[in-house]
Amino acid sequence: MPDILQWGLILSIAAPLTCSLIIGLSILVRREWLSENAIYKLCNTGLLLAFSGSLIVLFSHGFNNTAIEVDAGHWISIGDYEIPALLYVDSLALAFSLLGSALTLLVARFSQTYLHKEAGFARFFLLLGVFATGTQLIAFAGALDLFFAGWEAIGICSALFIGYFYEREEPVRSAIRAFTTYRICDAGFLVAIVSIHELLGSTSISGLMAAENLGGVTVTLIAVMLMIAAFGKSAQLPFSSWLPRAMEGPTPSSALFYGSVSIHVGLFLLLRISPILEAAPVAQALGIVVGLSTAFYAAAIARTHTDAKGALAHATLAQTGLILAEISLGFTTFALIHLVCHALLRVWQYLRAPNTMADAHEFGHEPHHAPSLLAKIFPLTSNWLYAQALHRFRLDDRMDSAVAPFLWLAESLARWDEQLRRSLSRRQDNNS
Amino acid sequence: MKPGHSTETDVLEHALQTARHILPDQGPIGVFIHHNTLHSFQHLRFHDAVQEAASLTGARPYLDLHEFRAAFHAGRIEEADLAAAIRSHLGESGDEAILATLSRFQLWHHLMLEETAMTNTVELDWQFRSASPAERKLIQAAHKRADDLPAAPYEKPHYNRHAEVLRVLNAADSDVVVHDELIRWCAAFLDQGQALTPMPGRDLGFLQAVARMYAKGAGSPRGCPGVAEDFQSIARNHTPPHTVIRECLHDLGIEEQQLTSFISATAAALNGWAGMFARLEHHEAENHAHTPATLAEFMAVRLVLERRALGHICSQARLPLQWPALLAQVPDMSVCQRSGNALILYKIAQGAGLDAAGLEAIDETQLNTLWQAVATCTPLKRRELWMDAYESWYYRQILNGIAALRPKRLIPDTQQRPAAQYMFCMDEREESIRRAVEEHGPDYQTFGLAGFFGVAIDYQGLYDHKPAAYCPVVVTPAHEVHETPLYTHRDWHELRNSLRNVWRYARRRTHFESRTLSGGAGLSLLLGPVYAVMAAIRILLPRGSVTTHERVTERVSPKPATRLLAVRDTNSTIRTERGKLLGFTLEEATERVTNVLRSIGLVENFAPIVIALGHGSTSLNNPHESAHDCGACGGRRGGANARLFAGLANEPEVRIALRSKGITIPADTWFIGGLHDTADDNISYSDLADLPHALVDAFEQADHVLDLSRRMSAAERCRRFHNASLPITPDAGLHHVETRARQLAQPRPEYGHCTNAVAVVGRRSLTRGLHLDRRAFLISYDPTIDPEHQLLERILAAAGPVGAGISLEYYFSAVDNERYGCGTKLPHNVIGLLGIMNGHKSDLRTGLPLQMVELHEPMRLLIIAESTPEALLGIAGRQAEVRELVVNRWVQLACVDPDTGAMYMFTDKGFVPYVPDKLDIPLFDNSAARHGLHRQHLTPALVAAALRRSAPHAEQTVHSMEHRPRYA
Repeated sequence: MPDILQWGLILSIAAPLTCSLIIGLSILVRREWLSENAIYKLCNTGLLLAFSGSLIVLFSHGFNNTAIEVDAGHWISIGDYEIPALLYVDSLALAFSLLGSALTLLVARFSQTYLHKEAGFARFFLLLGVFATGTQLIAFAGALDLFFAGWEAIGICSALFIGYFYEREEPVRSAIRAFTTYRICDAGFLVAIVSIHELLGSTSISGLMAAENLGGVTVTLIAVMLMIAAFGKSAQLPFSSWLPRAMEGPTPSSALFYGSVSIHVGLFLLLRISPILEAAPVAQALGIVVGLSTAFYAAAIARTHTDAKGALAHATLAQTGLILAEISLGFTTFALIHLVCHALLRVWQYLRAPNTMADAHEFGHEPHHAPSLLAKIFPLTSNWLYAQALHRFRLDDRMDSAVAPFLWLAESLARWDEQLRRSLSRRQDNNS
Repeated sequence: MKPGHSTETDVLEHALQTARHILPDQGPIGVFIHHNTLHSFQHLRFHDAVQEAASLTGARPYLDLHEFRAAFHAGRIEEADLAAAIRSHLGESGDEAILATLSRFQLWHHLMLEETAMTNTVELDWQFRSASPAERKLIQAAHKRADDLPAAPYEKPHYNRHAEVLRVLNAADSDVVVHDELIRWCAAFLDQGQALTPMPGRDLGFLQAVARMYAKGAGSPRGCPGVAEDFQSIARNHTPPHTVIRECLHDLGIEEQQLTSFISATAAALNGWAGMFARLEHHEAENHAHTPATLAEFMAVRLVLERRALGHICSQARLPLQWPALLAQVPDMSVCQRSGNALILYKIAQGAGLDAAGLEAIDETQLNTLWQAVATCTPLKRRELWMDAYESWYYRQILNGIAALRPKRLIPDTQQRPAAQYMFCMDEREESIRRAVEEHGPDYQTFGLAGFFGVAIDYQGLYDHKPAAYCPVVVTPAHEVHETPLYTHRDWHELRNSLRNVWRYARRRTHFESRTLSGGAGLSLLLGPVYAVMAAIRILLPRGSVTTHERVTERVSPKPATRLLAVRDTNSTIRTERGKLLGFTLEEATERVTNVLRSIGLVENFAPIVIALGHGSTSLNNPHESAHDCGACGGRRGGANARLFAGLANEPEVRIALRSKGITIPADTWFIGGLHDTADDNISYSDLADLPHALVDAFEQADHVLDLSRRMSAAERCRRFHNASLPITPDAGLHHVETRARQLAQPRPEYGHCTNAVAVVGRRSLTRGLHLDRRAFLISYDPTIDPEHQLLERILAAAGPVGAGISLEYYFSAVDNERYGCGTKLPHNVIGLLGIMNGHKSDLRTGLPLQMVELHEPMRLLIIAESTPEALLGIAGRQAEVRELVVNRWVQLACVDPDTGAMYMFTDKGFVPYVPDKLDIPLFDNSAARHGLHRQHLTPALVAAALRRSAPHAEQTVHSMEHRPRYA
């Protein structure tokens, strides 16, 4: 019989997914079976239960700073190899769980009105439920395997929200770009998980402390692998180019994903594995360099962008870069506070982005001509910087060029394969 | 080509001019003025214009055939309308026999109803498989006969530019690469102040500014290698745009004869941005950034990018870059046309009742005749006729309604003084509230007029930065009117204003600083939690939070009482900074008041209270907010105009002067100005402090009726909102619209002019008691005091183009929401304070969003004037714009004879009598009984409550509630 804390955990993780499953099944049975209202109520119930679950955990765990590990049985067990379904509750987990569930709830309420009469209404709320479960899984995961499950749920929802308007080309192109970036970076995550399994016997969060006993090179490699995963999800350099493109989705999904929750998930991973990071100073140095360069890169772009959402996306990115640097420097508590406050600030700014015209009118419509600090110090480079920032330092193109040889290789192999198949079948024809 | 030749410049200039005509002509979105989307085609006849625009831009000219057919099957178009449309097109030739059993009319009728524009074989295969043996034989016969047919009856697609051909050839899309680069340059160059750092060197013009950025190190994008070098040389040599364009055209192999179509199609590929350049080139005042924007420079930048992008793609795909050679690569598509022809033939044989043998027996000449007849009945022509039928059905309902009302109509009793009179904007959104007012009894009269109340002014409100024109866009005001605080409130005003400025400055700084690196970090920690609480309150309690905020503001920092500086000394010629006269002289004021009162026919029997209501709309998170405001006030709110008009009409001297013009306003009549918010149905009055004490009771009664009416009207609006319950009480309706207008997440704060269809110019008795479903512009006009038709002429000259602009903008945005409209609002992203685009990068989207037009029935406006054909023809002869609109059929015109009630429709043959074909239209006790349970469009019906000849005994239809006048 699970105790109250376990009930809280189960509620917060399982409730949104269950409601999404019901919505999904109803669509499979008949497209218009559930009314908009019913779909919203279902999804909202799931999200409310998840939020109450987080609250239950908060109150039953208390506000003390101890961590509790909850064993929820085996997830996968093959022979004597097993992946336990471990959950883990500490203040970090609680903070992220509450942030995620509260903001999802708020955005769901917003979206009920925003997406009224929209053909993809059910799809939107279905994905919202999956996303909520993903965040809760990540927050409470006691082992990296489970964390990865939540991680992937968020990733796929993110890509599907970007491609929400799939009847137009641009959203689909952007969704594919985001998805590809995620996949490339997730490879790092997988390599790290397998290595930790191999080296430490388990990927449980509580067991990561043992990482300091591993060799310096090994732990650095593992840390770097995990960092790559985090860089992808949090759009750090050099994987930043998908973020502005992610503005293709409906406004509330942009607010929830790229303003508040999803963009911080990579940083949360780094907070989670901070024992590994602390054991790997080289990786920490990498984090500082990448974090600060992302911050400056994004801040420069945010200054030049003329569209509401693009400027916000880069302003957000600049802060995540700073938070990454803070984490890498070891200021984890400050980083967490910065992260939460930042998420709360941006969600409101994103949701109000369409109000830009009215705001400008209220402010007085005078262009704001404050030169940046950098421009004041180096006035000669400001034109160069402007040109570069406007085109986002051509990061998209650079990524494309980096991928091009692989594409070329794949295409050549495909062509070669085709030729081989043809010649083989010709030979077969001749023989018969 | 030799650059610099003068005739070449002319050719290029002509091509740019042509391009300008097909580009959207919409200014920055802050002030949204409805206009005919195809205004530059207005010299053509409507059908020719929409079809030509369609061929130039690929936009849809009409609804699709299947939509019209669905309307036909749903009873929205009746057989009579369809037959009439075909007959009026074919005339005599409709009776010619094409086949033994098939007249030309029958052939057309059959093609109108059957899907034949099919070029794939799948449909035919499917029909073949599911057919009976006899039908199979027929299909086989059709296939056989299709061999004897000449080419397909309808024209082939044609190509204007490289990108179109590349798409057909499945090569990479050059537009993706070009637009990616170009959109950012356009947005940066035209930015009106959204970015923290503006683009450097903008005053050099677009071409040189962009070239300079490449010279400073922008680098070529991956898809356009070499473009940076091109621009560097342009920057070095200061190459003028025309030379750049000519060089690019030469490199792309565009000869003079394709030049115009190439330039037009290339400009239209990014028509929103190109259109904004073209617009700002000719309307410099709209460009707050004062950057020199020209279409030629836009095209020059575009073509430099395009040349390199095309060169890259063509060399990779091993295609020629030169246009003629590339065009030759397009594969011949005629193969699949044979089965398409067979399908047409099969459908016709079915319609003609032919069997396989019959079809095979048709001889060659007959077949050719048939084919020629089919070729004239193109899909486009069919849609044109469907459109006529679609409109004529609705026009019949309206005209029948007016005819049916005639015997029952309520002619105002001139012996009895009304309790209150209300003047509204002609806007069709005010139709429901006017009807609701009138349902309170014959003592309440309403009038409609263009919402600027005859006072064209540049108005500066208390907190405005500078004056703006509050009048139709075609008028340039000669007068300026300022709102100033009362002398006793001056100190408070100054204190409040300085506090307000501090607050605004703080908000502005927060807005911008939160987007910088250091500011973002600091403000996150400072404001993050505060913002989250704010977001939660605003999203969970939209109505409560805004109302509370407003109440607290009102309590803590009330707006100081103000007056308008409306009147100036007769001899005073003081001019404001902008060279305008400040306020009106007695003479000018009298003239304006006289004109308004005479125009609406209110020259005697004044009620004690006359309320003049302008209108505007308040909504949140809505870049298109201004599109809901008053078109007659230049896309602004009409409250100031109404206030000014009422103020002038209350001036004792004006009243004395009016008497000499034959208009006697009794001493115990008081005019009150106000503003009706069409989003939340709030009504606020101005200058109530001046209300004479003796009239307080009368005003309270008038306000009470208006308050009940706005609730009834709000409930009527709610029937269109699917998330409001049905039926809904007036109070619940008001609550719903108030919530709706305050929701940040609301893409449909109101439906605006959606469903507008008709404009009635005449006495209210022509339509009072008719439920017009908020679809009719209502303009009051009394033909009995206008023997020379001067008033009518003025009304038509002013209201005709405004109404036509609104109706046509809705028409085009509804017919092709992606091309003429701006698609769904959900991914919209405000850019450069200029307009909106989709997501992170797209064309600048012009026109109306889907959420504003989703209920609209795209039709031309039917103007019904209470006048005679002769009078209208005379006016059309004198007013060029009205003539153009009417004769070219951009609006439809009908008239009702003031004396006899006889009706006439304007057709290509001039005015022809219209005989109402159905006079037994339904009668309901009140409006709510008519619309209370329906969400769909409603045909006109009679409303008994508004036709009563005596006042009702007690309050009936309406719910009692706390009653308190609202103040501005």
